[in-house]
Formats: sequence, C-alpha cells, structure tokens
Amino acid sequence: MKANPHHHVYTPVSKKRFHLGDKYQLFLMALPFLLLVFVFSYLPLYGWIYAFYDYRPALPLSQNEFVGFRWFTSLVSNEFQREEVFRVMRNTFAISTLGLLTSVLPVIFAIFLTEIKNAPFKKIVQTLTTLPNFISWVLVYSFAFMLFSVDNGFLNNLLINMNVIDQPLNVLGSDNHTWLSMTLWGVWKGLGWGAILYIAAITGIDPELYEAARVDGANRYRLMWHVTVPGIIPTFFVLLVLGIANFINSGFEQYFVFKNAINMEHIEVLDLYVYNIGIENNNFGFATAVSILKSIVSLILLFAANSMSKLVRGEGVI
Amino acid sequence: MTRRKKWTASAVAMIALLVFMSACSSSKGGSTASNSPSSTASSAASEGTDDPSKQPEITLDVFSNLANYTGEQTGWFAKVVKDKFNIKLNIISGGQQKASTLLASGDLGDIAVAIGGDDYKDAIKAGLLLDWKKDGLLDKYGKDLLENAGKSLEANSKQFGGGTAIYGVGNSVGSGDGPSDGARTTFGPMLRWDLYQKLGSPEIKTFEDYLPIVKKMQELSPKSDSGKPTYGFSLWSDWDGVMSVNAKVTAQFYGYNEGDGFNTADIMMTKADEAKWIGLLDDDGYYLRGLKFFFEANKMGLLDPDSLTQKFPDVINKYKDGQVLFAQFPWLTDSYNTTENTSQGKGFAFVPFTEEKMTSSGYNPYGSQYLWSIGSKTKYPERVMQFLNWLYSPEGAQIAAAGPKGVIWDIVDGKPALTEFGYKAVTNSVDMPAEYGGGKFTDGGFQANNATINKSMINPETGEPYDYSMWSSYLNHDPDPVTKSWREAMGAMTMKDYVVKNNIVAVQPAYFSEEAPVAEPADIKQKKAEMGKVIKEFSWKMMFAKTDDEFAKLKEQMISKAKGLGYDDVLKWQVENYEKTVGAALKK
Repeated sequence: MKANPHHHVYTPVSKKRFHLGDKYQLFLMALPFLLLVFVFSYLPLYGWIYAFYDYRPALPLSQNEFVGFRWFTSLVSNEFQREEVFRVMRNTFAISTLGLLTSVLPVIFAIFLTEIKNAPFKKIVQTLTTLPNFISWVLVYSFAFMLFSVDNGFLNNLLINMNVIDQPLNVLGSDNHTWLSMTLWGVWKGLGWGAILYIAAITGIDPELYEAARVDGANRYRLMWHVTVPGIIPTFFVLLVLGIANFINSGFEQYFVFKNAINMEHIEVLDLYVYNIGIENNNFGFATAVSILKSIVSLILLFAANSMSKLVRGEGVI
Repeated sequence: MTRRKKWTASAVAMIALLVFMSACSSSKGGSTASNSPSSTASSAASEGTDDPSKQPEITLDVFSNLANYTGEQTGWFAKVVKDKFNIKLNIISGGQQKASTLLASGDLGDIAVAIGGDDYKDAIKAGLLLDWKKDGLLDKYGKDLLENAGKSLEANSKQFGGGTAIYGVGNSVGSGDGPSDGARTTFGPMLRWDLYQKLGSPEIKTFEDYLPIVKKMQELSPKSDSGKPTYGFSLWSDWDGVMSVNAKVTAQFYGYNEGDGFNTADIMMTKADEAKWIGLLDDDGYYLRGLKFFFEANKMGLLDPDSLTQKFPDVINKYKDGQVLFAQFPWLTDSYNTTENTSQGKGFAFVPFTEEKMTSSGYNPYGSQYLWSIGSKTKYPERVMQFLNWLYSPEGAQIAAAGPKGVIWDIVDGKPALTEFGYKAVTNSVDMPAEYGGGKFTDGGFQANNATINKSMINPETGEPYDYSMWSSYLNHDPDPVTKSWREAMGAMTMKDYVVKNNIVAVQPAYFSEEAPVAEPADIKQKKAEMGKVIKEFSWKMMFAKTDDEFAKLKEQMISKAKGLGYDDVLKWQVENYEKTVGAALKK
C-alpha cells in the first residue's frame, strides 16, 4: 500500500483536539483482527480443560469428576497400551511421510499442465483432475466398493471374464500395501486441486524472464527447469513447511471409510484412533487429551521445519 | 481530520461488533441453566378445549435414539396423529454422538426416546427431563398410562425420581407368562425352506450341523435369481460394538444373552433363565464358537467374501436376490419372502436345531429400558402427555401396531381382521391411499421406532393381540405355499407356537430394582474401548483365517492383547454388578 502524501499535513491540526499516536492508530486498525485471532484461536484453548475431567455432556463441568492427568497417562499405562500407541504413531508417520513425498506431484503436474498449448485439452484435463477433490470420501468409498468388491465388482468381473484370474481379488479386504494404497487414493483425489496454487504461482512469473532465457537460447525444458521451477520453489517450500507442521494430522475421513478389521492394523492413524476410543465411546476427555498432545507435536515440528528451511535455503517462513 | 475520524469510527464499530458477537456466544451457557418460565404461559392457551383435535396446530420434536429416519413424520401415522391431536411430529434420529450434542445443548426436544443408561441419569440431574408429577400432569392427562403401565411408572420413580418424581416410562410393557416375542421370534435360524425340503429335511442336532447342510443347499442352488454366486452366510460389520454381532448370536441360540438386560454388562453373556454367566472370551464360550463356525464356513466357501467390507444395506440386497441361504434373524428374510417368491414355493422358514434354546425376554410389567420421556424445555407439556397417553392406550397401541382402523383392518364378526386392501398393504405390494400420505405401509409407521405396550399383549377392546400377524383371522388367511408346507412339517401355526410347544426357548423373567444401574467408571469405559477394538478386529481376522493354525494363533493373540488392555478388570466390574442385581434375583 502506498503512503498517503497528505497524511502529515493533517496531523498537526488534529493534535490540538484529540490525537492518537501513529502506533495506537495502527494498533486500533489491527485490533479487530487480533480479536478474531483471539476468539477463534485462543478462546477455544479453554476447551483443553476437558482433558482433565471425566466429562459427561449433560452436566456442567463443575459436576464432572476431575481426573487429573489420567487420560494422558492412560496412553502409556502398560506394555500393551504402549504397543498400541506406537503402532498408531507408526501408521500416522508412515502415511504422512508418503504424503509429503508425493507433494511434489502437484508441482510437476502443474508445470506440465501449463506447458500444454492446446487450450480446450488443457481445460478438460484440469477439470477432470480437480473434480475428485469435490467428491466426499464416503462417495469415494462406495465408488471403490463398486469397482473392487469381490462378489460383483467391476474389476473382478472384468478380469475373470478376460480369464486373467480365476479367483476374485479382495482389494478392499486386504492389508497389503495399505499405506501406499491410501496415499494413492489421496493423490487421485488431491492432485488437480493441489496444482491450482502452483499454476497461479507460474502465472505470476515475469514473462520477461522467459523472453530473456529464450534470447539466450534456452529450449522448452531449459525454460521449465531454469525459470519455472525456481519461480515456484518458494511457494512449494511454504506449503511443505506447513505440511510438515501438519504431519501428525494425517486426516480422518479417508481412513474412517476405508477401515475394516483386516487393514485396521495399518490404517489406524492417530485421528482414527481417537475416534475409535474417544468419540465413539463418548470419552471426550480422552479425545481432548490426545488433541493437546497433537498440538504440541505440531508446534515442535513447525519450528523444526522452519529452522531446517533457514539452514537449507537461508530463509524461513515464519 | 474527517478521514481519520472515519477510520477510528469504523474501527470502533468493528470492535463493538466483535465484542457483541463473542458476548452472544458466551451468554449461551448462562441461559440454558435457567428453566424457561414461558412453558406455563403458552400452554395455558391450549387448555381451552378438551377435544385435542380442536387445539391449535403444533409441531413436536421427537428425539429417538432408535429412529432410522430424520425429518417430518409422514405417511398414515402422521395423518392419524394430525387428525386426532392436530400435532405434527418432527423426528430427530439419534446415535451416541447426536445424543451427546443434545445433552450438552441442554434441550432434548419435546419427546425423548431411548436415552440410555448413564445419559438418562445425567439428563435428570441436569434438569433436562420433565417431571410428570409436576402440576398433576400425569394424573390429569395420563389415565391410560397409569392403567396400562402403572408398574413401569412406579419403577421409574423409584429408580430415577427418588420415589416422588416420574421421568419416563418403559417400552414394551406387558404381563403374562412365556416369551413376549411376536408370532415370529427374535432369533432363527432360518433356512431356505424349498432347498431344505429338496434335501429331505435332514436332522440338525448342533449349530455346527448347519454347515454341511447349507453346503448341499449351495450346490443345489449355485446361482442367485440374477445369476450371482450364492453363499450360505453374508455378514456385516457396521453394527459391531465390542464384538462381532453375527458371531455373538450363537450364544443367543444357546440361551445366553449379551449382558443381562439391566446393567452395562456387554462383555459377559448371561443365561436368560438361570443365574449363570460366561465371559466373552471364555475358551468354551459361545462367542469363540461362533467365530469358529464362520471360520469353518469360510473354508467351505460358504461365507460371502465381501462380509467384511460391505455395509448392512448390501446384505439386505443380497438376501433380496436370493444370494444368501441362511439367516440368523427372521427379519433378515423379509426382502426375500415376497409374495412373488413365496407363491412359487421359494422362501425362508424357521429350521431350529435339536440343542437349540433361543433366548427371549418375558413379559415385563416394568417395561424395557428404551424409556419414553418428555424434555423439560417443551412448551406443550399437556399436549405431549395427551399424545404419550394415547400411545399407551389400547386404541393408540392398536393403530401403531396395525395401522389405521377402517383402512388396513376392521372388526369383522367381533374379531379384528385385515381388510382386503390391508393384506396387500402390509406386504408393501400396494401403496397407501393418497389421503393417508401414500407410500408404503411400513414406511408410514411411527418413526420413533419404539413400542409402548408389548404387541403380543391382548387388546381388551378386540380380545386379540395388538400384533396383526397373531390374529386368528390372519393366521387362517390363505397361507402361502411356504408357510403351508412349514406348518404341515413342523406341526405348529407359528414360530412362537413351535418354540413353546417344543420347549426350545429360554425366557428371561422381568427384573425389577429399586436402584438405577451403576454408572460405568471412566477407567472401565476406557479399558473397554481399547480391548473392544482389539476383539472386534481379531474376530474378523479369525473368521477369514486361511488355516487352522492361523485361526489358533489369532485367537491366542486376541486373548492376550485383550487381557493386556484390561479385559479382566472390565469383566470383574460387570460380573460384580450382575451378581448383585439380576444374578441375585435369578437365584431366588
């Protein structure tokens, strides 16, 4: 925003009557937003108090039993319990890591998409890849069930009719490569949507850079590598650091709809575990306790990622 | 200067707005605590006339934990209630999460159905349920309730109201001997009668004996009506709590129920008519036997491989298509036993085994635990009470069970009988008349999905049970070929007749306590959740295990994991409660 040149002319006049110093004025301008942040980001922290109670929804908090740190310690109370938590954390970290590794796919996709010169084809590709983002996971599962069910699934019918297999495959009811298949469903759903930000970033690159590179004799791949990629790397890094901060929040819905007894061992991520133990059994105290732990881990990861970014690129995002 | 003023003014305005907004949200908690005094004021207007149908139209919110439907009540039941009371019903379907939300919001609607166990006690403690004794409400408008469910009201008062207040009434109230099931009992097993007949009705001694028979039936009918492969069994996992529902039913065929019908006792199984119990994971228990049964079925190619991943509606569709040959619950077979199929002699029928002793609950004058209650925030306590009272009157119970009189049924020669139209309507082969809201008969029933008076009780006004399928006129009305052949072979008119005559039913007597069930402590709840998840998961793995070794290994893992996560503590707590209450009563 450009400064108002007349600003200083007015100042001495108002001084005589009622004057707020510049800093107060700026503070007042920011205040509504600070309040918003307070109301939506800090006020809800009051809810953390439920982690210390055996909360029953009908009663006011004062009438609920105070349990101290029981929900926290119950996570590690014995060997079997620790094993459970370890398994859940392993799933969360594995799926999140795969998610971070595949986060370069939207970048590559966006770069190649902008290189397509045939506009109608480009539009069609972009629409088709963005569309899955708007399909809810519940519908995705019923779609998956139609495709992969043993009894009358499209895939099994096709393969059996083509005599490729004689025993139907049970894709959904198997625990093979659960982490990978969950990541692939995620990529299928999020690829086009994730690319939008990068496409915007590419549009923002100064065309003069391309022209200059072309004059210097760069071919199409050189342009992509030396102009486009450096142009969107900052965007990628911001998203990557935020993604790392969200490492522990690997999501819920997807795993909730795809879970079953056979794949539970590898699909149960932290959020799903909290649902299974806390929400489903009305144990809000426990669910809150885990979410507190999650927030703390997220905070640590965010700062770690930021310092990494400072180390590697010389600048951080916060 | 003016510009600066504008800035400041708009900033102040925004701050004011925000403060106002946040003030709004924080004041919510305060207002729920105070009881609204408006209820007495607005209800005074509706007392003007005695005829409820002349009163102004109102809409009541009915929150039911048993409802499978959300939205305005439609169909014939809506029409009857509108005509009689000028009331519209808005059904809110429940579930644990929804119940928690409503409890936390402090408003349970006008009628609250089946708020369970600890939640019910908390709701009373928090003042969310209306005391029916207040202002003489029950005495003034609850004549039929007092007459037909007096003991249930008394029990509620003793358990929850300290002997003075009354906060609700139990469901399925009744009295008498024998099982309280309808003509069709709660449990089967059912087999495809036509195929079983073709095999020459071989004898079935134990539960496991079904396996070779179902295998032969599958060989007789390898393809369903639409050409898909058939299975003996098709299961579903979406109803599982701490265990697989389908495997648990095995216990119910042998006289053991999940829990005891009073306490929170879901990881033990109790004998219906004796003071005996077994733990869920007992080595010779029926749950593990059930898992073994389905494991064997899977090895024989009888278990639908989609059992694990499909949802309950998928199972119903498979029954409809004739893809499944065995059913644990009789009601599963409705979608196959259509007039079209049964007229060709194809259909499911009850085929018990010699050792069977199916569980059944006896008539219970105290009612069962899906309580009907009234929310304390209701603006129309009188009219809600009038409506509830009607549901507990012979007239209301009869209509809820058999549909509107004069349309679906009528009195013929002093006895109730379905009309010509009624016979077609109850099988959903015709739509209801437009003035009764159209649609299918079964879709037009009361969506709160909870009984008031037990349907097997005799209606004093007609001299026959409320349930039309138990009327003599219905039983003698042109039975379809499947029913006819079944009756000839079994020598009984109905399933209930058969189980009573052959003494293959274990009836659980009504239990009464002056005290409410003990609330589940937080650590027990937590442990149960952890180990329940493990049991559920391993149960399915065991059913789909490839070899006997794998089955045994998984079983060992399940038991050691569940014990490590607190199985023994939870069981001990549950057994203690059982032995103090239901168990002690059964010993006498």
